[in-house]
Amino acid sequence: MSFLVGTVLLAVVTAVACALPGVFVVLRRGSMLVDAISHAVLPGIVVGYFFTHDLDSPLLILGAALAGLVVVLGSEYLGRSGLVTGDAPQGLVFPALFSVGVILVTLNFANVHLDTHAVLVGDLNLAAFDQATLAGISIGPSYLYVMLGVLLLNLTFIAACYPRLTVTSFDPLFARSLGIGVRRLDTVFMFLVSLTVTAAFHAAGAILVVALVVVPAATAHLLASRLLVMLALTVGIAAGGALAGFWLAYALDAATSAGMAVFCGLCFTLTLLGTRLDRRHRRRAARRQPLPVS
Amino acid sequence: MCPVACRTRDLSFAYGVDPVLRGVDLVVPTGVVMGIVGPNGAGKSTLIKAMLGLLRPLNGGAEFFGQPLAAVRQKVGYMPQSTTVDWDFPARVLDVVTMGTYSGLGWLRRPGRPERDRALVALEQTGIPELAGQQIGELSGGQRQRVFLARALAQAPELYFMDEPFQGIDARSQQAILGVLHRLREQGRTVVIVHHDLATVADYCDHVTLLNRRVIAAGSVAEAFTRANIREAYEVPDADDSGFLR
Ligand SMILES: Nc1ncnc2c1ncn2[C@@H]1O[C@H](COP(=O)(O)OP(=O)(O)O)[C@@H](O)[C@H]1O
Ligand SMILES: [Mg+2]
Repeated sequence: MSFLVGTVLLAVVTAVACALPGVFVVLRRGSMLVDAISHAVLPGIVVGYFFTHDLDSPLLILGAALAGLVVVLGSEYLGRSGLVTGDAPQGLVFPALFSVGVILVTLNFANVHLDTHAVLVGDLNLAAFDQATLAGISIGPSYLYVMLGVLLLNLTFIAACYPRLTVTSFDPLFARSLGIGVRRLDTVFMFLVSLTVTAAFHAAGAILVVALVVVPAATAHLLASRLLVMLALTVGIAAGGALAGFWLAYALDAATSAGMAVFCGLCFTLTLLGTRLDRRHRRRAARRQPLPVS
Repeated sequence: MCPVACRTRDLSFAYGVDPVLRGVDLVVPTGVVMGIVGPNGAGKSTLIKAMLGLLRPLNGGAEFFGQPLAAVRQKVGYMPQSTTVDWDFPARVLDVVTMGTYSGLGWLRRPGRPERDRALVALEQTGIPELAGQQIGELSGGQRQRVFLARALAQAPELYFMDEPFQGIDARSQQAILGVLHRLREQGRTVVIVHHDLATVADYCDHVTLLNRRVIAAGSVAEAFTRANIREAYEVPDADDSGFLR
């Protein structure tokens, strides 16, 4: 596999792996939480690197994702306890952790070869550098297989829990009254988000990974009238955005993940404008021809 | 059949430090429409949530048909206030009503034809079968309430808890929902509704519980829904009786 093809594949797989759980993040209005997680996993990654010396190590990813989850659950607990309210736990806890992470990186703790830039926006080409071989034939970047694993895991979870996940996202109180273990489902879901964010960190960095998770789903939300359609659109937008962003970055000689994020943001803005105009248009049409009331 | 559908014993609850509910003892006989009536912030929604285990009481608890909730969960349905969810959720009416059938669904099982049929029947009963394919974001307030009611009906429980089913709706939806309540009562089902329109309590309900952080009065409408009790629940001073009831 050529380096270019492998890197493009990595971009697409990373984007789709992030965007899938993003559907439920957006529906639960948890964008803030993803931002929080992406900040919280950084110290986990740095400390994990101290032990494994391999940024793609599954152990490191698992450990950092667990750290992210612990912080999410901790902030939920703080919120429930009534000691601090609303988004305050996330506002308090996560920036502090992120700072710890950045300080560790700049202190060159454990000789982490992360520069502050890569921490913020990632570097896809660097991530694609390690090539995997099978029977002497190059089969693309080894990191591609990490992200494929994450993608499969997310797909399996969504497929297995689809009805539960749907009712829990739409109406958590009703879901609990049906006897669905909403809290357990949430915990598993948050762990998967944490895992995905951690795994994608290498390619996308702390800030852009949030865009990869949230933007395709937010765009699809504007367009879709059913959840399955929203899921399909999200995957399409993520993959298309990755390709277009890759090309954009290539043409402008900029960071690939930045190109992907810029393209996703552009998609979202255009869709938002489009749906607004469409809605105004329809409202005008409706005024001309009143709907029957019931 | 057990003559008591549901009872709470000495149930107390607090969100923070100050209790919102103090020592609530409530008995709901089987086969009645019971109204929980009280001013805004009286703890009506909180009481229902605490009974259904959605909030953890400080003290006391509820039992249903003489058993703890976990043993009879399938027989107990909940219709939350329709304002508590995001109606921009990408779903059609039928998708939402089908959610009422999810309690019996195992892992990896999708709702199929039988579940969809139950949802369609429920939509018939609430008088909105033509809305099945409608995007939920396009519904009026009354239609939303009827969709939520249909979802509860699709679950087919014996005992229904409905939080403000008559809030913010048009006359037609009101008649449709009232019709469903009375049909449920004829079938021997039990309905507990949170209601705050004093003028219609006597028309809609057989039993009433006047609540303001504690139970002020409870019993049949004739016994409990008296001027004095209402005045106490709504904290209206004795002197001010001017046009308060109709
Ligand atoms: N999630 C919450 N956290 C803190 N206080 C709450 C919460 N929900 C309700 N309350 C308070 O509890 C009291 C009772 O609320 P509620 O049960 O919703 O009243 P009602 O349904 O009778 O209008 C109110 O004073 C309200 O402000
Ligand atoms: Mg209420």
